[in-house]
Amino acid sequence: MTSQSPVQPPRPERTGKQAPARDSDYYVDGVLAADRLVLSKTITLMESSLPEHQEMALDVVERLLPHTGKAIRLGITGVPGGGKSTFIETLGIMLVERGHKVAVIAVDPSSKISGGSIMGDKTRMQFLSARENAFIRPAATGQTLGGVARKTRESMLACEAAGFDVVIVETVGVGQLETTVASMVDFFLVLMIPGAGDELQGIKRGILELADAIVINKADGDNLTKARLAQREYETALHLVNPRSPDWQPPVLTCSALEKTGIDEAWDVVLRHREKLGATGELEARRREQVFEWTWFLVDEGLREWFYKNAGTKALLPAIKKKIESGVITPTRAARELLETVITKK
Amino acid sequence: MVKHPQKDAWEEKAKKELRERILDSIVWETPEGIRVNPLYTAEDLKRIDHADTLPGLPPYLRGPMATMYAGRPWTIRQYAGFSTARESNEFYRKSLAAGQAGLSIAFDLPTHRGYDSDHPRVAGDVGKAGVAVDSIEDMKILFDQIPLDRMSVSMTMNGAVLPILGGYIVAAEEQGVSRELLTGTIQNDILKEYLTRNTYIYPPQPSMRIVSDIMAYCSKEMPRFNTVSISGYHMMEAGADTVLQTAFTLADGLEYVRAALRAGMDIDAFAPRLSFFFGVGMSFFMNIAMLRAARLLWHRLMSVFNPKNPRSSMLRTHCQTSGWSLTEQDPYNNIIRTTLECMSAVLGGTQSLHTNSFDEAVGLPTDFSAHIARNTQLIVQEESKVCHAIDPLGGSYYVEMLTTMIVDEAQKIIDEIEEMGGMTKAIESGMPKMRIEEAAARKQARIDQGIEAIIGVNRYATDDKIDFEVREVPDYIRNEQVARLAELRKKRDNNEVERTLAELTRAAESGGNLLEATLPAVRARATVGEISNALEVVFGRFVATTLCISGVYASEYGDTTVIESLRKRAAQFMETEGRRPRILLTKMGQDGHDRGVKVVATAFADLGFDVDISPMFQTPEEAARMAVENDVHLVGVSSLAAGHKILVPDLIRRLNENGGEEIMVIVGGVIPPKDYQFLYDAGVVGIFGPGTSIIESANKVLNILENRH
Repeated sequence: MTSQSPVQPPRPERTGKQAPARDSDYYVDGVLAADRLVLSKTITLMESSLPEHQEMALDVVERLLPHTGKAIRLGITGVPGGGKSTFIETLGIMLVERGHKVAVIAVDPSSKISGGSIMGDKTRMQFLSARENAFIRPAATGQTLGGVARKTRESMLACEAAGFDVVIVETVGVGQLETTVASMVDFFLVLMIPGAGDELQGIKRGILELADAIVINKADGDNLTKARLAQREYETALHLVNPRSPDWQPPVLTCSALEKTGIDEAWDVVLRHREKLGATGELEARRREQVFEWTWFLVDEGLREWFYKNAGTKALLPAIKKKIESGVITPTRAARELLETVITKK
Repeated sequence: MVKHPQKDAWEEKAKKELRERILDSIVWETPEGIRVNPLYTAEDLKRIDHADTLPGLPPYLRGPMATMYAGRPWTIRQYAGFSTARESNEFYRKSLAAGQAGLSIAFDLPTHRGYDSDHPRVAGDVGKAGVAVDSIEDMKILFDQIPLDRMSVSMTMNGAVLPILGGYIVAAEEQGVSRELLTGTIQNDILKEYLTRNTYIYPPQPSMRIVSDIMAYCSKEMPRFNTVSISGYHMMEAGADTVLQTAFTLADGLEYVRAALRAGMDIDAFAPRLSFFFGVGMSFFMNIAMLRAARLLWHRLMSVFNPKNPRSSMLRTHCQTSGWSLTEQDPYNNIIRTTLECMSAVLGGTQSLHTNSFDEAVGLPTDFSAHIARNTQLIVQEESKVCHAIDPLGGSYYVEMLTTMIVDEAQKIIDEIEEMGGMTKAIESGMPKMRIEEAAARKQARIDQGIEAIIGVNRYATDDKIDFEVREVPDYIRNEQVARLAELRKKRDNNEVERTLAELTRAAESGGNLLEATLPAVRARATVGEISNALEVVFGRFVATTLCISGVYASEYGDTTVIESLRKRAAQFMETEGRRPRILLTKMGQDGHDRGVKVVATAFADLGFDVDISPMFQTPEEAARMAVENDVHLVGVSSLAAGHKILVPDLIRRLNENGGEEIMVIVGGVIPPKDYQFLYDAGVVGIFGPGTSIIESANKVLNILENRH
């Protein structure tokens, strides 16, 4: 099917420009000089799946690392349609007006089928994104959990090195990704909306264990009573899970991002948490713990990758698959045989 | 059910003719999802209780008037607006002399959105898609030598409805015509703006107050004026099928009725002044049936309110042929398309009609194309002899069945909306917008695959070049308007302006009829922008949230090998580049037509691109900043309102200034062929006119990306 326009004049032979090769100095110097253009290019570098890019990213992160660590790292998650973007926009504008520099990394899911994604978060935060002291970067998850974890973490560090003192990581929905994000931030905020009595159904118990606070958004108009009700239900539920810290009982708050009420209070909770756990040394400990967790995560990822790339494993895999399908061997036996391809070879 | 006595014999014969195909293979599943049999008989009609009704009598299925065109033909009402009030006025007077019966005014986008021509956000839009009106002075020129006591005037205005309707009333006043004599229609249908066209100013709730204030004022002061024209046209243009168009339009209507009732008005005081505006597309019988179905449904819906005046439940409508059905390729085909759509509207029983010009897929209509468009109606009306019969398709087994099916399907959706608490609530939930966008993505996939035929585009494409004149709005128009504004601000009594505007703001805060409070400000020569702003300080400016569907395009596009090969190339790109091709899709200026950009966004994501969407109404500066910060490979600009020659070069300049010189720019939408070279010279790397398939444009975008040097 061709639909070349008959009235179209001949197209000039134009092609686009390829990006010039850049060294790590370009990235490091630019980020430290708070150059937004370079920050955005640095995040692209960190998102890249090419080994040579990852190698350079590693170098860049190492050099930026001494300039990080001073920002408040805030993770925000919640169900789709829960008003996360409005919440972050209202919070972000409030913080910018108080003199903070706010970076938002908004993670949108990539389609499992096409691999593509639609990133509309910045659109939903158009007033914040117009502010000079705000930087919003929508990012697609890509196909692997390890990938998104690595790039989100490194992007966060780049933003800190560029002088942003509040870094917000926003994720959609409730799942594995949230656990990963919770393990890279100081404060994990779960945003909820009042429903019709079945508040707890859509949310996994696991997420409650990660929450440092639950905020019920859309507590406005007809929803006010429902929001209060939800608040009590979550409070009860939170008492049933083990708190992450002995010194911090996660509070349940209500707010209306639309009417801009309760946002102050939510931020106060973040600051109180910081003050309290900062004093006990727990915040520092948490960050140290996160670094170890991150290291082990990378080891796991590396092992997994190495295992699947191993020639012996690759060769054995089809035969094993057939055996499992026909029920000749148990999964335990199958796993052992596969693992032996790498263990015995050594 | 009773069967036609010879039905078995027919089936026998039909099967033979079809050879190895089964009878079911000629059942047609319409885009609405309705299964339509190839044959209906008198037996089918027996199931329908409205098959034997009369025109001019409830439920008005066969027409609101008893004599329809046999008594008086429909009104030929061509929608037009040209740059300046002076030029438009000349055009209107010429058209009236050439056989047009009423005026229909198109305003430019800055006016729609409540900005004066000198506002920095509207540099690319002044005088482009209609006439620029900044104050009563422009309105007076617009209606110069047009007797407003005898001329029915239709104004397409929804956002800045108060200063424009106010301007019309005061223009008449200053002509010496008192307002109770005014006849015509103001569109004033704000709900659909949130669904499709996006030319709103304020959030839904204060906007609904403006609508009901206008209804209240006019029911007392302007009894012959239609206060709301409930519009489905823009939904159709955004991709809605006939069922969606019918359901959402009538649900909007219901919402206005309830708003007026809540404001304490009597149903018969305003309902007779509600009129409708439907879009008529290429599916010939389906569109005829849609208009008939809409009349029946409106009567059914309004009966609940127990009106005493029969006119309260009578659906009267204006129609317009479809702009989306027009193509850039083989453009004279558009004259034939418009003729067919014109016939559909007429056989469906419209009260007035606009027929599109054949060049609207490439630019604004010229005098020549507007002449052909008007003559299309004149020929149908005066040469074809269709006017002698009332509802000539009444009793047609096929059309009556289609009518019934649309009634049933639309009723289901209306019920669904009622369950959500009415159309305002439904709009807040995003449901209607998503349904329309889904329908649009599916239709695009069918067109791209050639399942839905478009001659000259996906079938029988020709390489013959056709050159024709395209209208262009000169750049000095904006300067002219800006100069006139400066002069106005010097000459008028600015204290009086301040005072009347403060009064208007107070009315917005504390209640009081807003149209009434607007009139003194208009008389004092306050501008459209100033009046809109006096309300905005209380109401705020509405910002839409952009939701996007995914997966629909690929699933409707059956040929997976095509989809897969593009996905593979996107994945291959990632192998070499380290990330997927990333594209920012943006709309700059005040052009709110976002169907195209939404369909491209969802389809490109389905093909494996990472897609960023910008907010609506961006300035080139804002779009450039977003492109640089998101570090995209490409910016895709969608332009349908003739702003491209200003906005696109500005975008490229700002990209370069912000370090985004690697970011490439492509343009899609309504671009006149002679502007292609201009845009290429400005640095654009690809242009995609209407009718370009998404597959083709994705293919070209990948070529561009793969061939960078």
